[in-house]
Amino acid sequence: MNIDFSMVIPYLPILFQAAGVTIVITLLSQGIGTVLGFFLALGRMSRFPVLRGIVWTYVLIFRGTPMLLHLFFVYYAAPAFGVTLEPFPAAIVAMSLSTTAYNCEILRAGLQSVHPGQIEAAQAVGMSWPRILRRVVIPQALRVAIVPYMTNFISHTKGSSLASVITVPELMLTAQMIYSSTYRAIEILTAAGVIYLLLTSALTVLQLWLEKRLRYDERGLSRRRRRQLLLAAGGNG
Amino acid sequence: MADAPMIEVTGLAKTYGESVKALNGVDLTVQPGEVVCLIGPSGSGKSTLLRSLNFLEEPTGGVVKVAGRRVGFSDKGGQARRLGGRELAAQRAEIGMVFQLFHLWPHLSALENVILGLVEVRGLSTADAARVGHELMRKVDLAHKMDAFPEHLSGGQRQRVAIARALAMNPKVMLFDEPTSALDPELVGEVLAVMEQVAAEGMTMVVATHEMGFARRVADRVVFMDQGKVVEQGTPDEIFGTPKSDRLKRFLERVVA
Repeated sequence: MNIDFSMVIPYLPILFQAAGVTIVITLLSQGIGTVLGFFLALGRMSRFPVLRGIVWTYVLIFRGTPMLLHLFFVYYAAPAFGVTLEPFPAAIVAMSLSTTAYNCEILRAGLQSVHPGQIEAAQAVGMSWPRILRRVVIPQALRVAIVPYMTNFISHTKGSSLASVITVPELMLTAQMIYSSTYRAIEILTAAGVIYLLLTSALTVLQLWLEKRLRYDERGLSRRRRRQLLLAAGGNG
Repeated sequence: MADAPMIEVTGLAKTYGESVKALNGVDLTVQPGEVVCLIGPSGSGKSTLLRSLNFLEEPTGGVVKVAGRRVGFSDKGGQARRLGGRELAAQRAEIGMVFQLFHLWPHLSALENVILGLVEVRGLSTADAARVGHELMRKVDLAHKMDAFPEHLSGGQRQRVAIARALAMNPKVMLFDEPTSALDPELVGEVLAVMEQVAAEGMTMVVATHEMGFARRVADRVVFMDQGKVVEQGTPDEIFGTPKSDRLKRFLERVVA
């Protein structure tokens, strides 16, 4: 068997297009899953036991069952309940449900890592809860949550390949279709693997950048913040 | 007394679970401009009392009034109604608090710590708030540390920033919850000096403290607490010079020795 990677070249435009689909379903579901996960994390920390119980049950179910099953369920089983979705929206729904559960727990860990005294100090100056959340809790929570969050993000990017089973034309399904007609599995799978690695590497770089940005005390004040605070540039005010 | 009292506490109680009585019927009145020091052994209820004054601790009984208004509740129509988040926040903005462990916000510079309340609660622009903040940082002798992050400040410097942060809101009352207990001995003086200055400017202050020297020098009145109750109160001379109750005598023997 001779391996010839140049045979991949004509298929690159199709593979890149498929990678575009992978990016879109990953970003869309991760975006939805981040917003929902954040509110679920707040719900999980709520003082209302019923709300806490609902969120706990949600996480139990959706973190405890495979995303592959969620995809099948939304695509094949939901029509029995009168909901019929095209592959693309079905994938978004299933992938969002799944990653929401993980993001809920990751963001909760971040939010709960903030010392209660931090919140009390903000209450004592008269800040309302939404402002405390935005100005005191979230900035500190992000620093703790960023590593597990990005780990889940990367894991979710690779997990998007499961959407191939409900015929979403993303990278994995497209690679399969190409090698089943060309019998060039090694070359095509290698190409797909390289593209996945590029995508996840981009997220790894993003993580490094975010981690650096969130090391607030090491970075010092930005020029913009100094200007707003009427502090002399570079000096000690 | 011509002025209405600044703080009026009547029958204050705080019970945890069935049996633990952190506060067991405390009455306390503080006049405007008065400096009251709370002394007493650990677990005597000093902190719980202070934290009840701005409703960080919700009492299980009794009434707290600050500047004539009931804290945590509205008494409209004779029916006590628990205040909503916004109303409670507005009330707390009038009551400054300084914590034993500082609780500065680590992601903000010293100056940003001082002005966050002005921006978020009073709605000042960052520049206007910064002008107030600069002045307060000078007042606590930290003009050279405005851009430093809490991580890079000494304990004494952190506590002075925390005092500036509370003063920024221009509160009617300042509460100090053992402000020097977490400090290295050589840093205690700089914090007490700032507090003394604030007292001299006429601020109404309630200070839970183990610094008997400060209480003796600065307090108008010293309140000795034990087991959730006010056991004895009086002028510093009375409390330290002629203590009446055995419990206070024993306490003073231990702390002064």
